[in-house]
Amino acid sequence: MTKAMTKTELLDLIAQHTREIVPGLDAHQFAASDRLADVGANSIDRAEIAMLVQESLGLSVPRVELFGPKNIGELADLFLQKLDAA
Amino acid sequence: MPPEPAVTGMGVLSAIGQGKAAFTKALLDGQSAFGIMQRPGRQRQSAYLGAEIGEIAVPTAIPRQTLRAASLSAQAALTVLDEAWTEAGLADVDPRRIGLVVGGSNVQQRELTQIHETYRDTADFLRPTYALSFMDSDLCGFCTAHFAIRGPAYTVGGASASGQLAIVQAAQAVLAGQVDVCIAVGALMDLSHWECRGFRALGAMGSDRYADEPARACRPFDRDRDGFIFGESCGAVVIESLESSDRRGRKPYATLRGWGVVMDGNRNSNPSLEGETRAIQNALNAAGWTASEIDYVNPHGTGSTIGDETELQALHACGLTGVYLNATKSLLGHGLSAAGTVEVIATLLQMQAGRLHPSRNLENPIDPSFQWVQEQAADHQIERALTSSMGFGGINTALSWQRHH
Repeated sequence: MTKAMTKTELLDLIAQHTREIVPGLDAHQFAASDRLADVGANSIDRAEIAMLVQESLGLSVPRVELFGPKNIGELADLFLQKLDAA
Repeated sequence: MPPEPAVTGMGVLSAIGQGKAAFTKALLDGQSAFGIMQRPGRQRQSAYLGAEIGEIAVPTAIPRQTLRAASLSAQAALTVLDEAWTEAGLADVDPRRIGLVVGGSNVQQRELTQIHETYRDTADFLRPTYALSFMDSDLCGFCTAHFAIRGPAYTVGGASASGQLAIVQAAQAVLAGQVDVCIAVGALMDLSHWECRGFRALGAMGSDRYADEPARACRPFDRDRDGFIFGESCGAVVIESLESSDRRGRKPYATLRGWGVVMDGNRNSNPSLEGETRAIQNALNAAGWTASEIDYVNPHGTGSTIGDETELQALHACGLTGVYLNATKSLLGHGLSAAGTVEVIATLLQMQAGRLHPSRNLENPIDPSFQWVQEQAADHQIERALTSSMGFGGINTALSWQRHH
């Protein structure tokens, strides 16, 4: 990453990958408070989405740490924090 | 009277046609589509010849998110299953009484090779769903998730006889009363450059002789053949008892009257006259037929130097000298796991059309004592047909088909 990502950019990235995996979200307006489970992502979908985001960021996050975030806003915060530390 | 397994629906994909209508026309017109294969992951400092399917018209009801995760083999299976399902009208059957048998093992090699190469240096990002997709049984998962199949669904492997083996297995499930309907799918074998190299190194895959003339390379039973030429294909066949199809008001194409499945006791790729003869004879005996009652044989005929000769010797040994023969692989190429299913479909479509498709490149048949269909299609009524397959590891299968009136 040449410049620091904003939280909005990260949320957009999560939304983009979620739409790749979960049908029926093309018109959905994602909000930071959205929970992946609530928009139809099962546990395998969630693992797949988290991996696609990591691959896009070139950032590997231990799986156990991905259990913490309660919604996509918190997930974005986790990734931002890891990007900062990297 | 024991229940007779009947075919009430079929679906097919090949490089010369997708869906039965286009496929039948291409067969009877004697079309082929061979060239240097282009699919990513199929060449590496190589120029293997083969026939590849164009973009697959996957049923629109399947969301793109599903297709993204589906391998080429899974997309093909969903597509042929949709065609066969619709034709057989299975919406009125209890899903718990419908089964699925997918023929083929290790069918997704090109997809796996692509994934391995993509993540060679970034293994941390390997998709979690790789744990699902690397198994052939993922095809069963996709198919049962999208079609109302809640009876048993599993894969069977018998190398190039897998497609026929799946039909036998489906028929057995129906005969045993395990299910009322069982669908056999001959899975699309998706070769990577590694398998192509292996087949070439073994001397099984041609063509040294026709490297610059792809349209002439695939020539089963011709004097100048030099090995099989690969061709992507996939087929689905709906099997149910005649009692079930009568009850549902469906008219079957044909009934399966018997089969032979036998081993040579040979791990290698070379054919066995004894094994092939026994498979064909078993199929005839099971149907209660004599060789003279067979109107048409759809042979395995890959273009293998020894294999083609051995197969014709086996037909002679069973009293089938002079029978009508053509070579479906001369048009489609060798679909490996799919071949047995797709060739049964080709047989039943020819039975329905009353016409036999041409064989390409059959300029000088190695044994002229058969009734070969060469460059021109031929009108011919088929009442009783025999189809056969052989696979590496010494497996031989033969099926006896009776036209249904």
